[in-house]
Amino acid sequence: MKSINKLIIAISISVGALVTSCQKLDIPPTNIFTPDIIFGSEAGVKSFLATIYRNLPIEDFKYRPDQGFKTGGNDWENFFNSASVTGEEVGPFGGMDIGTGFGYWPYDNIRNVNILIEELPKHADKLGQTNVNALLGEAHFLRAYYYFGLAKRYGGVPIVTKVQDPGAPLSELQVHRDKEEATWDFIGTELDLGYQMMNETNELGRANKYAAAALKSRAMLYAGSIAKYGSANFVDGQARTEGFAGIPADKANGYFTKAYDAAKLLEGHYSLYEKNADKVQNYVDLFLKSESPENIFVKQYSIISNTAHSWDATMSPRYMTANALTRSYPTLDLVQRWGALSVTNSDGTPKRFNDRADIMQGLEPRLLATVYFPGATLRGLTFDMQRGIYPTFSGTAAAEVAKPANSRSYILSGDTKTLYQGRMIIGFTGPWTGGDELTRTGFYVRKYIDAAKPISTVDLNRSEQPWLELRYAEILLNRAEAAMELGNAGDALTVINLIRNRAGATPYTSIDIDKIRNERGMELAFENHYYWDLKRWRISDVVLNNARFKGLMPYYVFNENKYIFLAEPELFQRNYNFDKKFYYEPIPGGELGKNPNLYPNNPNY
Amino acid sequence: MKKLISRILLGATILASSACTKIDNYDGPNASFEGNLISSEGGNLLTSQGSSQIRLEQISWSATPSPQEIPSKFDGTFKDSKLFKGTYKVIPKGGAFWPLYDTLTVDINKGTKHDFTVTPYILIKNFTATLNGKTLTLKYTMEAPIGAGLPTIIETQPYVNNTKLVGAGASIRDFSDIYKKAINKQWADMTDADKSVTIDIPDMLPGRKFFVRVGVRLNDSFKSSNFSDIIEIDVPAN
Repeated sequence: MKSINKLIIAISISVGALVTSCQKLDIPPTNIFTPDIIFGSEAGVKSFLATIYRNLPIEDFKYRPDQGFKTGGNDWENFFNSASVTGEEVGPFGGMDIGTGFGYWPYDNIRNVNILIEELPKHADKLGQTNVNALLGEAHFLRAYYYFGLAKRYGGVPIVTKVQDPGAPLSELQVHRDKEEATWDFIGTELDLGYQMMNETNELGRANKYAAAALKSRAMLYAGSIAKYGSANFVDGQARTEGFAGIPADKANGYFTKAYDAAKLLEGHYSLYEKNADKVQNYVDLFLKSESPENIFVKQYSIISNTAHSWDATMSPRYMTANALTRSYPTLDLVQRWGALSVTNSDGTPKRFNDRADIMQGLEPRLLATVYFPGATLRGLTFDMQRGIYPTFSGTAAAEVAKPANSRSYILSGDTKTLYQGRMIIGFTGPWTGGDELTRTGFYVRKYIDAAKPISTVDLNRSEQPWLELRYAEILLNRAEAAMELGNAGDALTVINLIRNRAGATPYTSIDIDKIRNERGMELAFENHYYWDLKRWRISDVVLNNARFKGLMPYYVFNENKYIFLAEPELFQRNYNFDKKFYYEPIPGGELGKNPNLYPNNPNY
Repeated sequence: MKKLISRILLGATILASSACTKIDNYDGPNASFEGNLISSEGGNLLTSQGSSQIRLEQISWSATPSPQEIPSKFDGTFKDSKLFKGTYKVIPKGGAFWPLYDTLTVDINKGTKHDFTVTPYILIKNFTATLNGKTLTLKYTMEAPIGAGLPTIIETQPYVNNTKLVGAGASIRDFSDIYKKAINKQWADMTDADKSVTIDIPDMLPGRKFFVRVGVRLNDSFKSSNFSDIIEIDVPAN
């Protein structure tokens, strides 16, 4: 009987187990996020967007043109900027070291955008059709941004708009290069979609419809210049004859028109920052105030999220910071975009100044807000730039500078402790050649420097001021340049004078393309535009033809108790030479290995 | 314990003896390719550091091989003795000569030789260097084998160095680059005066030996220069 009971229990257990075991295992995996979770809520979409935004090819404080876009917590070497290979600055690069780029190839990010574009319409029930449309517009903007980063480097690249299936046959995965013209046209179309579908406003750090129009004005201006100037100055090769590198010249005006029209769309919605009556302080504030009506699209940083940058600590000498290392310095060549400095008399002898700071008298406010001159102050300390002491000085500046160093009668020093008759020979802020941390040109960068920070807080990875990726001044400059290329000098003049008025400069009465380009160089100094401007104008190989740049060296003349300034070769003694093939970067070798359809590579690689 | 050690040793021996049985059966890079860049106007094309190369693409290895280059020596010869045997597409490039567009297919083996004939853009003729006190005077004239369609002539300059390796990127700046003369003209627009050049280099260092040549730079894809031959100059001591 007992055994029967056991049998019954055993049977019922097995039957029970059999009956319940046949459930199909059909539950969503708990360890990965499915599309429903991500695209089913606004928070989910936002987290997906965050990755796409973070990786955008924004050439900000941390961008290293020889290594790439940096998003880490300790990417502090902000002096490795493109300004320091183009003569805006001289710096740590030994020469024109960034011509072949760093192999930018963001198809992983583009795939993310493609996923977004494919998934969003499926979730309209949860997100709402209006939201979906705005988000789709944002996605088109973001995709255009990535393609812009590619097109300006390589010309024509494969346009991939679908999410590729990794299991697809190799022939489908190995996408052909598209022509350069097709690539720029695609960028234009994407940005049109972005403009049509996005909202008027968006949260700070995300794009609205005007950001799409602004980027379009930039991209179409690039395309127009490449069509116009690239068909006159080019490197021959298969990629060119097949249209992968180069745009037919007759397309130029079409692109310039698109650039002009896109820039016009922002009129009335954005304006130049003019809140402070003090023109110098106003121009300084413009880069530090996030409520500026000039900001169209900004990139933010924070110490908490481990994304802070190091601009303050890498652009000012340690004398004025807690822990700094500077390495790139504005050149006299940049400063003289504003006109020659008055440092010599008509007979060629150097002007005598009672005080270093007197050199700043009468200079344009924008220049003073862009560059720290000898005699300027930061955080209560003076930029006491002094290269050395002349016990006496006679003759002309030019003759003195032309002498070999060993026959000049100046006294130099390797450190600030060495005195000449009780006077410091070099300043606390340089110039000095013994180390990297003091100016080699007699100037320091002022743009984006936050002077309100106490010295003790100015350290590496401690700067949070946003990068103004798209600001209205650039859009006005895009508009003026496109207008001028189209023969509309009147509009160009009006727009350039808007910028000059805000800068505190004398308005122009007439305009030409060189003035517009020079205005762009002044207004957008150190903002990583100039390298691309030189390239799209196809003048890099002329401007950087074994180019050497100058600094302005302040000296103290002992017997006269006066200061003089001599324009001398900058103290790194760099030489910059732009090879014509650099107008296009080479398609990365690894990608060529994976996809032979990317051939032909750009000319001369 | 002894047993254990001997077993470990036995194991190690078996592993060691069974490893590395495969042999690399590819040939080493034991093929070579050499030759001359012959100027159509006689002699070799005179080049300088980084000015002309022979580009090789090993088509027997891949349909889209990464190109490799053999730099030309100053006397217009080239040689690479560490190439893999195979079929290559070869072409001289880098200027300063009228570009060749047709690549040549060559089977490169041990001791393969080939001479390329190119037409230089500019010939530098009647090059003389005379010393007058400490001032070195260089005189030369330019000729173009083919004038029509010649790239813009950008500039001409002397190259002075204290070794026989003298040319672009191998010269003393204070005696060379700063005596650069800008031209920026089409060949057809250049007068006879433009084509015959005199350059004075003052303050040569006494008691030194210098090697001097001159170059003319053109605005082709490579911004390449045609060079003269090299003249040796002994500056007498004071």
